[in-house]
Amino acid sequence: MQDAENVAVPEAAEERAEPGQQQPAAEPPPDEGCCGPRGPALRRRQGQRPLVRRWRSRRPGRSRRARPRESGLGTSAPTAGAQAASEDAGGNEGSAAEAEPRALENGDADEPSFSDPEDFVDDVSEEELLGDVLKDRPQEADGIDSVIVVDNVPQVGPDRLEKLKNVIHKIFSKFGKITNDFYPEEDGKTKGYIFLEYASPAHAVDAVKNADGYKLDKQHTFRVNLFTDFDKYMTISDEWDIPEKQPFKDLGNLRYWLEEAECRDQYSVIFESGDRTSIFWNDVKDPVSIEERARWTETYVRWSPKGTYLATFHQRGIALWGGEKFKQIQRFSHQGVQLIDFSPCERYLVTFSPLMDTQDDPQAIIIWDILTGHKKRGFHCESSAHWPIFKWSHDGKFFARMTLDTLSIYETPSMGLLDKKSLKISGIKDFSWSPGGNIIAFWVPEDKDIPARVTLMQLPTRQEIRVRNLFNVVDCKLHWQKNGDYLCVKVDRTPKGTQGVVTNFEIFRMREKQVPVDVVEMKETIIAFAWEPNGSKFAVLHGEAPRISVSFYHVKNNGKIELIMWIVTREMFDKQQANTIFWSPQGQFVVLAGLRSMNGALAFVDTSDCTVMNIAEHYMASDVEWDPTGRYVVTSVSWWSHKVDNAYWLWTFQGRLLQKNNKDRFCQLLWRPRPPTLLSQEQIKQIKKDLKKYSKIFEQKDRLSQSKASKELVERRRTMMEDFRKYRKMAQELYMEQKNERLELRGGVDTDELDSNVDDWEEETIEFFVTEEIIPLGNQE
Amino acid sequence: MGHTGAVWCVDADNSCRLWDCETGKQLALLKTNSAVRTCGFDFGGNIIMFSTDKQMGYQCFVSFFDLRDPSQIDNNEPYMKIPCNDSKITSAVWGPLGECIIAGHESGELNQYSAKSGEVLVNVKEHSRQINDIQLSRDMTMFVTASKDNTAKLFDSTTLERQKTFRTERPVNSAALSPNYDHVVLGGGQEAMDVTTTSTRIGKFEARFFHLAFEEEFGRVKGHFGPINSVAFHPDGKSYSSGGEDGYVRIHYFDPQYFEFEFEA
Repeated sequence: MQDAENVAVPEAAEERAEPGQQQPAAEPPPDEGCCGPRGPALRRRQGQRPLVRRWRSRRPGRSRRARPRESGLGTSAPTAGAQAASEDAGGNEGSAAEAEPRALENGDADEPSFSDPEDFVDDVSEEELLGDVLKDRPQEADGIDSVIVVDNVPQVGPDRLEKLKNVIHKIFSKFGKITNDFYPEEDGKTKGYIFLEYASPAHAVDAVKNADGYKLDKQHTFRVNLFTDFDKYMTISDEWDIPEKQPFKDLGNLRYWLEEAECRDQYSVIFESGDRTSIFWNDVKDPVSIEERARWTETYVRWSPKGTYLATFHQRGIALWGGEKFKQIQRFSHQGVQLIDFSPCERYLVTFSPLMDTQDDPQAIIIWDILTGHKKRGFHCESSAHWPIFKWSHDGKFFARMTLDTLSIYETPSMGLLDKKSLKISGIKDFSWSPGGNIIAFWVPEDKDIPARVTLMQLPTRQEIRVRNLFNVVDCKLHWQKNGDYLCVKVDRTPKGTQGVVTNFEIFRMREKQVPVDVVEMKETIIAFAWEPNGSKFAVLHGEAPRISVSFYHVKNNGKIELIMWIVTREMFDKQQANTIFWSPQGQFVVLAGLRSMNGALAFVDTSDCTVMNIAEHYMASDVEWDPTGRYVVTSVSWWSHKVDNAYWLWTFQGRLLQKNNKDRFCQLLWRPRPPTLLSQEQIKQIKKDLKKYSKIFEQKDRLSQSKASKELVERRRTMMEDFRKYRKMAQELYMEQKNERLELRGGVDTDELDSNVDDWEEETIEFFVTEEIIPLGNQE
Repeated sequence: MGHTGAVWCVDADNSCRLWDCETGKQLALLKTNSAVRTCGFDFGGNIIMFSTDKQMGYQCFVSFFDLRDPSQIDNNEPYMKIPCNDSKITSAVWGPLGECIIAGHESGELNQYSAKSGEVLVNVKEHSRQINDIQLSRDMTMFVTASKDNTAKLFDSTTLERQKTFRTERPVNSAALSPNYDHVVLGGGQEAMDVTTTSTRIGKFEARFFHLAFEEEFGRVKGHFGPINSVAFHPDGKSYSSGGEDGYVRIHYFDPQYFEFEFEA
């Protein structure tokens, strides 16, 4: 491949081609005439032509038509090199003659000749040979690409022109060297627009991208355009075409499931290793199937945050389904999509695909409008390791992304940068939106003498409402309480003079003036932390296996943080342990689980009176999912993590097992989320007050449905028994009919009953001494 | 030679042997080309059949010998040999009155072959995977199959119509019908090669009792620490035994509650 390399690197080829030029005879002048009409860019390669040709002639059995890319050079071959090859391949008869003597000189005498016959006529166009790279052919530039037009520049007289030029220069030289400027004048004043020329077109593009919309002062906001776009704007019609009215598509009631009489919830189940997806109503008795489809999704599914849509993943993009029949509502074409994220308001969808990105057309991350299905904006993305890349504010008004030393906040619906610029925050490590207001929390590690810093910033004002300095920090994690009432920053520190890491929980009380902070210190390793949703408690799992403990803390109104419960999990579980915390979405109740490697131990805890309501086990459980109302919990063994006993079990919040649902190669269960309640705080309080009244009604309902269920069961058994008896009667009649045949076959001896010929028996009693082990029957798990 | 006087024995040493029950004497030795999987006497005790594995380039065959013609045994020349090209036989029993045999296949299919002509009388496919065991009821009017597809099923011996299905979470290796109750016992468990953990919990090596008519489980017996390979009821129905991969045969006598237990119906 040495020669091929030469082709790929034209510069090197030219150097190494030197020896080839020592044989000027091999370079017949007629060549010149052949490639004469070509541009100057092509002509400079003449020196290397012999070498390139050699590459071709050494390739046995390869026809003249062989494309460079087929020979393994691939598409990576730089343009000039490929062109060299092409010109050669599509080239000149004159050169064919000298290929052979060269081969001889090189000692390749026994190789057959691959040269074209004298009468060869090349009818392959360059377009056909390398149409894919021709577009990259160097082209003449007249420098017009480097010119920009800036509008809305202040109109000044000669006295202030110099000052204006200075300001302009300061703003626009950020994007590259300005080689020329022009300030048109009229009546001794500038006209309000200027022309700037950069050293390269890239600078001009950069300037348009970044300086367009730049606010110089209250009256002057720059409009920056490329000079080359002039034509484009010229041809825009002055008349405005009224957009065609889109017919309204009635999708029915997308929230129909909330109107269900029994207030049941829905969940999606993926099973048969992903081949089938089902939607069920959750019911105390048995799940009720609503919809089941084969190959509904290619990987997994997602519900939108308020439960309106079900998203399915496909090689070509994302599909959203909803309504009573789960009809397709919207499609978003994004080849190779892997990850998605909904905005909390369900208006926008963010999709990620590693396949589509190109330099000039960012398509790694696309933000879509769910209602219209239109693409709103594309973004580049280097790594999807920390998905979601874009984090949304709770109301969907803003979304933000962190890059090196930068926090970029965008606003909807324009999808543009908030105030046209990103925040420079050198060293920023992580950030997070408050779920309760447009506040961003971010932290910056220590830098020499400057301490680490946690900052809370109000948006869109960018006002810092609280800054907390921290020392000897190794790492921070930001945990918001679901309502945004509290922020806990878990700070791992190595205090001076000590060894090992201690952890501080810095609790920010967001609803109070000046955001007071209290600290809880933990000496042990932290395994998990979780806020109580809608509450003021938090749970921490800490310690080293096999001595992992759980602690519950309560943040009181006066700011005091009180330890309300502390248990060593292995004592609670009888030698098992927990490694994850799952709070009920309504708070108060919590499930502590030892997932995967910890065998599936489960503890159901009520934190209001600190009691362990039940200890149970779902062997090898991999997931725990609370229903959105906090009434039920599902534990499951997913085929994605464990290959046997794939099932999901339904429990009450108190830990009473209701159902074991075995599904072949079960993968994933997801509850359909509910939108936030429309009831006011007062109404909720009233309902809580009247709970007794309601519970009476519900208890009666439960009793009715229970007796109905047992009646149904008994009824079902009765019919099954009747059918079975009928069958047995038929079979026995046939059996009796065949009695004679049986007697005949066994020589007249009746063997139908064990004791039918008891007279022939001789009884002998033998006694053994055996140990007896009594195992009671019917002790199902 | 009476029907209570001899037993068949099959072996992985590629032979089938005929023994005298009373004396323990070997009456005949039939060499085969591949391992013998199943064998049995017909109802009259005059005809024997055995099936061989598809192995070492040999096909799966069912061979029939009539003992009333000694030359068949002496020359190792069965009066009929049914080839099974598609899917090998993994279990087989004689049908009632010795007119046919019922064979379960690796594919999960059931075939009823005529013992006279060898043709397939009935073919059904109710199981999705290998049928490990077939056991007849005492009166031979129905039989229960045990399959690798985690189920056992009850069939009518004459029509091969499926009557009932008993579902578990593990491959079923063996199933037996009680002679005097509407009960069936299932034995099985995770296949030895698939058990990756040492925990016996995950293998679920329990014998499980189901009601024949309701298809509902009403009892389990633990004890084995490997998969159960075979289960059998005592002919009087008062006890049962199970043989496991762990090397134990366990004999269990039923508690009085077993005989009193009834479903609410």
